[in-house]
Amino acid sequence: MITKKRLLVLMKRLWALPTILLLSGCNITILNPKSTTGEEQAFLIRLSLMIMSVVIVTVFILLIRFVYKYRKSNLSEGYVPKDVLGNKKLETTWTLIPVMLLAVLAVPTIAITYYQSPVSDSAAKKEGVHVEVVGEQFQWTFIHENEKEEKDELVIPEGEPIIFHLYSKDVIHSFWIPELSGKVDVMPHEELIYEVEDPEIGSYDGKCAEYCGIQHANMRFDVEVVSKEDYKKYLDE
Amino acid sequence: MNLSFLGISKYVPSDVIAAWIFTLIAGLLILIYIIKKRKLPVIWDYLTTTNHRKVGLMYILFGFIFFARAGIDALLIRSQLAVPNNDFWVMQYEKYNEVFTTHGTIMIFFAAMPMLLGLMNVAVPLQIGARDLAYPFLNALGFWMFFSGAVFFNIAFFLDSAPAVGWTGYAPYSTSEFTPGPATDYYVFGVQISGIGTVMTALNLIVTIIRHRAPGMKLTRMPLFSWAALITSTLILVAFTVLGVALYLLMFDRQYGTAFFSGDQGDPVLWQHLFWIFGHPEVYILALPAFGIFSDIITTFSEKRIFGYPAMVVSLALIGFLGYMVWAHHMFTVGLGPIANTFFAVTTMAIAIPTGIKIFNWLFTMRGGRLSFTTPMLFALGFIPSFVMGGVTGVMLSVSAANFQFHDTHFVVAHFHYVIISSTILGIFAGIYYWYPKITGYMLNEKLGKLHFWLFLIGFHMTFLPMHITGMQGMPRRIFTFRIEDGVNATNMISTIGAFLMGIAIMVFLWNLVKTHTTGHKVNADPWNGRTLEWTVASPSPEETFNPMPVITESDAFWYAKKSGKPLKTTNELIASPIAKPSILPALMAFSLFIVATGITYTWNWLAIGGGVMFFTIIIIRTFVDERAEVYGKGENDE
Repeated sequence: MITKKRLLVLMKRLWALPTILLLSGCNITILNPKSTTGEEQAFLIRLSLMIMSVVIVTVFILLIRFVYKYRKSNLSEGYVPKDVLGNKKLETTWTLIPVMLLAVLAVPTIAITYYQSPVSDSAAKKEGVHVEVVGEQFQWTFIHENEKEEKDELVIPEGEPIIFHLYSKDVIHSFWIPELSGKVDVMPHEELIYEVEDPEIGSYDGKCAEYCGIQHANMRFDVEVVSKEDYKKYLDE
Repeated sequence: MNLSFLGISKYVPSDVIAAWIFTLIAGLLILIYIIKKRKLPVIWDYLTTTNHRKVGLMYILFGFIFFARAGIDALLIRSQLAVPNNDFWVMQYEKYNEVFTTHGTIMIFFAAMPMLLGLMNVAVPLQIGARDLAYPFLNALGFWMFFSGAVFFNIAFFLDSAPAVGWTGYAPYSTSEFTPGPATDYYVFGVQISGIGTVMTALNLIVTIIRHRAPGMKLTRMPLFSWAALITSTLILVAFTVLGVALYLLMFDRQYGTAFFSGDQGDPVLWQHLFWIFGHPEVYILALPAFGIFSDIITTFSEKRIFGYPAMVVSLALIGFLGYMVWAHHMFTVGLGPIANTFFAVTTMAIAIPTGIKIFNWLFTMRGGRLSFTTPMLFALGFIPSFVMGGVTGVMLSVSAANFQFHDTHFVVAHFHYVIISSTILGIFAGIYYWYPKITGYMLNEKLGKLHFWLFLIGFHMTFLPMHITGMQGMPRRIFTFRIEDGVNATNMISTIGAFLMGIAIMVFLWNLVKTHTTGHKVNADPWNGRTLEWTVASPSPEETFNPMPVITESDAFWYAKKSGKPLKTTNELIASPIAKPSILPALMAFSLFIVATGITYTWNWLAIGGGVMFFTIIIIRTFVDERAEVYGKGENDE
């Protein structure tokens, strides 16, 4: 089993390669996340993009080559294509190489997904800052550990695991802060638990990502990640 | 706009008024044309026909009309999203929600599906040497069910009660607690009725392919489009049944107060399971026929047989099979837990393998061939790289933890438009250009065809390539507005321009149709120098085909017969073949279900009961009246 620390080291090493890619040059939100959870997701995105680029480039090269070489106008008058039934070796090659590429992708996918997946088991008590998230048409309510409630504004401390307890009062919503990490659905029939690790100080945009009705587009909230002291002050306000 | 009529004043949105005016004028013009040209007998002929080519033509024609409507929806969506904080026409809030719902639902159920089923209807019997589909009556019924369902769904908009629950209709939002009124019922019944029709057509295709192949046409010699039709039909049989069950339960939740999908006993995730157990195979139901079309087109225009035929068939079947084991990858964020999230990630990745085999086999079919770049071939060549781009984002989405970011964003929108447009839509256009001579006897104009292809391909990539970035910048789907500081202004603008380019491409296609039928020439049976049996029958294909019946000794038998200069061997030994005789009953039967749906939607119970009585009466009539009775026991030409 890969420990998380080791995985992070591995990620940093692999960083150099995919950053060469065009995409990471731009300032794309979900590739430059501000939490450890988000970084792990961004790593997977970069890794998968890198592996998949190999596939795209191969197909493009073959397609352009064959189209250029075997176009009618490029062939002599009497050229008659030879009938080829197939080729076991070639076909095995393009079966096995994708299997290997996907295996390379599957291992970190499984490792990271396994501990990042939102769970419904409320018994799994975790160390960290707990925040209750209540979604309803069309607003968010955040309830902190000392019962402090605020609507549409989420304040959390930096450098700690934040454990969200999410549920909905009506339809399904989805809780998403793109700059921090991935989303998790807010369900009416059960409470889900989702963890975001070590957010960095800053203000971010939160959104509802699951279509929930007429004001879905405006069901947004503000996120403030503050220092631990400021968070304490905020709770006592 | 407020309209008052008979003392009742009602607010009617201007887009609905515009649609009424447009439809009335267009309807009037068509009516005048029909009466002036004395085309009423033609209408009656098509209303009662059970012939596979004519039913296929109607599938394609009406599929295309609904495609146009849903395409206009798409342009409305893109106009609203062109710039931040936009206020385009009435396309905000509920209107926007309606328009993305109808766009998705119509495109999938009433445009892509019928056009593919239409092409199968036309081409499959001709490819395998069958004289018609096994059950011509059922075939017409399947078509009219689709037609009823589609018309029912489309009427909602004209009554200003278009559904707004998304094409996925997620519960509990789609239950009557949150969307009361008739709108969502239009979605439930429209999709249900046409879905049952689709199941009928699938059954019909399966039996046709199993029972009515020409002598010597073993399954291992069958053209790949027919193989795709066979596998697609088995997928439809299971997937649409599950959808039927889901919609049925939702109907009970909405009409009769059950609580399958909400409340304390219900579970909204159950709807998602049922929907995606249908919904994911649906993607392959849309893609596999296109794979078949491209396989046939690439071999024809490479003048070379398909590379690795067994692998092509096995990979079709494998994709179909694996398609049933991946549905939960649409649900990574609903809390299924780590085991499910990793399991479905891996099965999803596995689908890439048979798909990759197909891509490389197509590429190597072209290698060593002699390629002519006709319009159908251009669509096939455009398909390969575009589909690979959609496929790789599919693998990226299968990475569950990354999916937490991608899910429900424009990245997903870009992904599924990439796969569906590049396979299904390019495939349908390729198929229409390819088989147009077989359907109408005319060949579509090649110059306009190529212009259509390039405009469409460029518009398509322009729309959806930037959309990946829009999504990665954090723009969720199904929102009608965004802010300047969201950082998605440029990419949204480019997408909008691309969408209109696709719209122009469709206008070029329409112009091509008009031009072909006014100035085009009739072509012979084999205009493309084809390889398969459909090119042995006249263009357009007559109602009476394969007489005498060809005997098949190898795959692409027609090609090799032409090459060796000897005609295909034939036999006069008749095998039992389907008899297609006209009947008005299928159209009436489908219409009676339309009445039932209207009745339940507005809780006019007497109307629903009346429709039901009509439906069962027709079944009883049909039991005793057989339109084919007079020709039993003799060949159709002995009449």
